Amino acid sequence: MSEPLLVLDNVTKNYGAIEALKGISFSIGKGEVVALLGDNGAGKSTLVKIISGGLEPTSGRMLFEGKEFLAKSPAEAKAAGIETVYQDLSLCTNVDVVANFFMGREITRKIFGIPVLDERAMEAVVGKALASAGTRIPSLRTNVEHLSGGQRQAIELNRFVHWGGKLVLLDEPFAALGVEQTRRGLDMIRQVASQGIGVVIITHIMQQAFQVADRIVVIRQGVVAGDVARNKTSPDAVINMITGETLAGAGPGG
Amino acid sequence: MNLRTRHALEFVLDNLVWFMLVFVLVVFSLFIPNYFQLGIFANIIEASSVLGVMSIGLALVIIAGHMDLSVESVAALSAMAVGILFCSSGIGLGIQLHPEWLMVPVSLLLALAVGGLIGAFNGFLVVRVKMSAFIITLASYIWVRGLVLVISGGRSAQDLAPAIRWFGIQRLIGLPLTAWIAIACFVVFSLIMAKTPFGRHLVMIGGNETATFRAGIRVNRNLVIAFVLAGAIAGLAGWLLAIRTSGATANLGVGLLFNAFAAVVIGGVSLKGGVGTLPGVYAGVLLLSAINTAINLMGLPANFTQVIHGLLVLAAVLLDAFKQTIRQRLA
Repeated sequence: MSEPLLVLDNVTKNYGAIEALKGISFSIGKGEVVALLGDNGAGKSTLVKIISGGLEPTSGRMLFEGKEFLAKSPAEAKAAGIETVYQDLSLCTNVDVVANFFMGREITRKIFGIPVLDERAMEAVVGKALASAGTRIPSLRTNVEHLSGGQRQAIELNRFVHWGGKLVLLDEPFAALGVEQTRRGLDMIRQVASQGIGVVIITHIMQQAFQVADRIVVIRQGVVAGDVARNKTSPDAVINMITGETLAGAGPGG
Repeated sequence: MNLRTRHALEFVLDNLVWFMLVFVLVVFSLFIPNYFQLGIFANIIEASSVLGVMSIGLALVIIAGHMDLSVESVAALSAMAVGILFCSSGIGLGIQLHPEWLMVPVSLLLALAVGGLIGAFNGFLVVRVKMSAFIITLASYIWVRGLVLVISGGRSAQDLAPAIRWFGIQRLIGLPLTAWIAIACFVVFSLIMAKTPFGRHLVMIGGNETATFRAGIRVNRNLVIAFVLAGAIAGLAGWLLAIRTSGATANLGVGLLFNAFAAVVIGGVSLKGGVGTLPGVYAGVLLLSAINTAINLMGLPANFTQVIHGLLVLAAVLLDAFKQTIRQRLA
């Protein structure tokens, strides 16, 4: 196994008396794709928010590149190199494609010491990024509210591919995509991983998990119910882990 | 529909309020005797300077998805502070500085600081205590006006120092300097909103605050700055108001808030946040001013003004909904 990029050690999260996460431990290696599976309410999205700085864990610790890590805000997680694509899309529909692509990271040039948006440079970058991913959007200057769900999700996916970082978290990224776009999205994930970037993908669709992941981690009722290499398990075994009928195939990652 | 008509249509929709302004000016010029004069147009711009400046601050906060009802009272407090210090009769203390021009930057800084402080107070409560901006600034609208009454004792200050008054008297190309200050504010803040990351971030925060937070934009910081700016700009409006009336009264500027709201909405700013531009707001301000002037010239009782403004706001909101349906067809 490649050297670990992110290690979670007994991470818990309580909402009042409710224990959303009862102690999650697993790790992600560089260039590894981990599929995070689990039933609704198992705690997957909570876990993603903790890693990406949207929520603080109640207890437990995380190691990122071997160092103690705790993001207090998404900005800190981003600065550390963690990109997140959320389930409910994180786009501002009232501005155009270019503005969304560069949200919070605008290219500027200084005029009398004042940072001024360099629209032309940004548009060129976005055009290139979308073209190389095969995404077609009529005009980069259209406000996102006028685009379809698939186009919006494509923008999000292209955004994370472009910015890369060291670790990418994808929370059900293909929910609004068609068959062909999903296939392309899965290709994108492999391509990103081949650059040495760790990928965590949350999905409900078993087939996608088996198509793209190196390892499958199952969360059930706030604990890790299974952590197995893809080629050592089967969809049926994973479903059993998710529903909790048996623990067959569960065991330490390998 | 081909691409060119579509672009043309979008251009018209984006700048609808400017077309309305031109339309209204043409109609008034044709049907109201004596309307078509340079002096009248200069008067329209001059009369809209205080309201215009105040609308800028209000628009900034509304575009960022929040609200500032306190701008009117803040302007009054700033005007009163300037009035008390630099007026020579009434409750004015008549403080003299030497050289005399020094009173200009001092009074201006005072007005900006008073406004900025109240803006910071509003912003802090909105961002840290997470209270609704509507309620907080409504409270500020009330207590700041109360403060004006308290420090003035309900009386007024007259005879502002001539060095400060100079801005209201000195003309450049037919317009007093106060009007030029308002125009300069619109230019500067329009550029900030359209061309800088800060402006872009405010628009995006107004569109989807969660998304901007996740993207690593420092939402709270930006929002506090927006509130401070709104306060400081309201302070500037107060300074202009004090110059215009050569002093300050306890009920100075009452009712300006609703005119500012009308201008902002007519100018195409959505109260839901994230939509609108400052040039549009300026056109909205000029439109209101043009209508006021027409009412004056026709000799209608001034009480009609309010009825017409109210109807105009309704028309603007309806128009906004209508624009949305057209845009959806276009997409």
